[in-house]
Amino acid sequence: MIGEGEPKGWRQPELWAKALPSVALQTLFFLAPLLMTVLLTFQETRSFMLQWAWSLKTWSDIFSRPHYWTILWHTLWMSALCVALCVLISLPVAYALATRLQSMSGHVKVLITFAFLTDATLKTFGWVLFLDQKGAANFLLERIGFPPAMIGFLYTDWATLLGMVYNLLAFTIFTIYLSIANIDRSLILAAYDAGASKWRAFWEVTLPLSRPGIWTGSVLVFLLSVGVFLEPKVLGGGKSPMSAELIRQTFETRVNWPLGAALTIVLMVTAVFVILLFNRVYSLRRHGAAA
Amino acid sequence: MSRHARERLINIILYGSVAAVLVFLYIPIFTLIAFSFQEGRFLVLPFQGLSLQWYGALFRNSAAATALWNSTLIAFVAMLFSTALGTAAAIVAVRYRFRFKLPFLGLSTAPLAFPQLLMGIVLLLWFSVLGRWLDFNNGLVTAIIGHVVYITPFAMIIVAVQVFNFDIALEDAARDCGAGPWEVYRYVTIPLLWPGIFSAAIFSFLLSWGNFYLTYSLAGSTRTLPTFVFSGIATGSSPLYPAMATVVFIPGILLVMVADALRRRAARRLA
Repeated sequence: MIGEGEPKGWRQPELWAKALPSVALQTLFFLAPLLMTVLLTFQETRSFMLQWAWSLKTWSDIFSRPHYWTILWHTLWMSALCVALCVLISLPVAYALATRLQSMSGHVKVLITFAFLTDATLKTFGWVLFLDQKGAANFLLERIGFPPAMIGFLYTDWATLLGMVYNLLAFTIFTIYLSIANIDRSLILAAYDAGASKWRAFWEVTLPLSRPGIWTGSVLVFLLSVGVFLEPKVLGGGKSPMSAELIRQTFETRVNWPLGAALTIVLMVTAVFVILLFNRVYSLRRHGAAA
Repeated sequence: MSRHARERLINIILYGSVAAVLVFLYIPIFTLIAFSFQEGRFLVLPFQGLSLQWYGALFRNSAAATALWNSTLIAFVAMLFSTALGTAAAIVAVRYRFRFKLPFLGLSTAPLAFPQLLMGIVLLLWFSVLGRWLDFNNGLVTAIIGHVVYITPFAMIIVAVQVFNFDIALEDAARDCGAGPWEVYRYVTIPLLWPGIFSAAIFSFLLSWGNFYLTYSLAGSTRTLPTFVFSGIATGSSPLYPAMATVVFIPGILLVMVADALRRRAARRLA
């Protein structure tokens, strides 16, 4: 039914009419700005003004300052932890959504969607109120007999991580859910017939087949989490800056566009490189196991 | 451990994880709602008393009202554009096969996986250069463009699911009965895709309404609710924000519920 027949040429007027608007939009306001950002990194800045003079000054600056790389390393670590936590939390939830909770599943999805779509600034601020020394969590814990101010990790990296997982969790829940929901039930039943336990069937049938969802979700969360700036600022107290905060400061406080542009490119390229590296290591391991 | 006990354990873990995640997701939301009813100036527990005074203060605050209006305006316009562009792109993505399909899919979904702050900065640079050349300042329009770039891929994916479940024979039947291309669209394609389009529109509206990063970079001096809140919490927490959050939550949950009801009705009709 879908996409039957040979690939047709791209010169169909009907196709043009539908594809052109979004192609134009993304070319003009995504691709072109991105290319210009790359070009900007080869310019110079003098007394807070951009000079269109081709030079490699910015790049030599970046590669000679370990400070930038320390922050980048920290960012990548936080993002990797965020991805791992998101996947670990999402797996049982997505599995339950797809296989249990028949009639409830719709309501749970609505609740998750709503929590995801609500203003991230407000939700992050809600966490501050909850985790604060005199906040809701400590108040409730003290009420049931714990010592006062037991929860004191607000304004540390752990609070930042919590905020990142909180704001990105929906991506992994939904991608993993979709891939588990699309698994042919008969494959799992076949595993049972062959004498597999529930656990074994999950481990050897469901989990491998839900890999595309896990992978898509992880890539999305990783790429989005390297760019967070709200969480480190509001929940982390701005004490250990991550790349996005550094980039923002470079643009806003130091008004150094070429440097900011270069840091943006470095962050994105490194993130994509990490993903490609993982993909490569993973496929090598799989081929190795198959051989 | 017996088989029965193990099965119980698996169920406890699965149901428990769903419950735990829901609690986790709603902790900050309920905290904000609870704090909105407190009386004192400081956002600490225990409350000094319960009152609705901060709601009153919120409605008298003109900066908050302007921010609310800007958010709604931006979200509405961004919703119209993203839904229209996303629907067209979704039809292309599912229905057509052509040589440049892969680049097309890559380009039209790329913003989905691009950190918003960085996209905001990249676009800010672009608009600054264009602005100097064409003489305009950042404001509502640039914010809307940024939102449309970011949200269109979401709308496209949501509508694509609907297009995927669509029986092409219905269009053929309409054509066989003598309908022209426009009539086929007007009376067959669009009505059948409507639930997907509608969910995409609600999703787009809410994504834009709650967007912080892009607005922060692109709206110039124009404030929306998220940037208004951010500028407030950067300088110190005010008792206004929990009340504001509660006001913002209500239309959100209603819209999500409407979208879900429509999706269900459409699923029943297909079955």
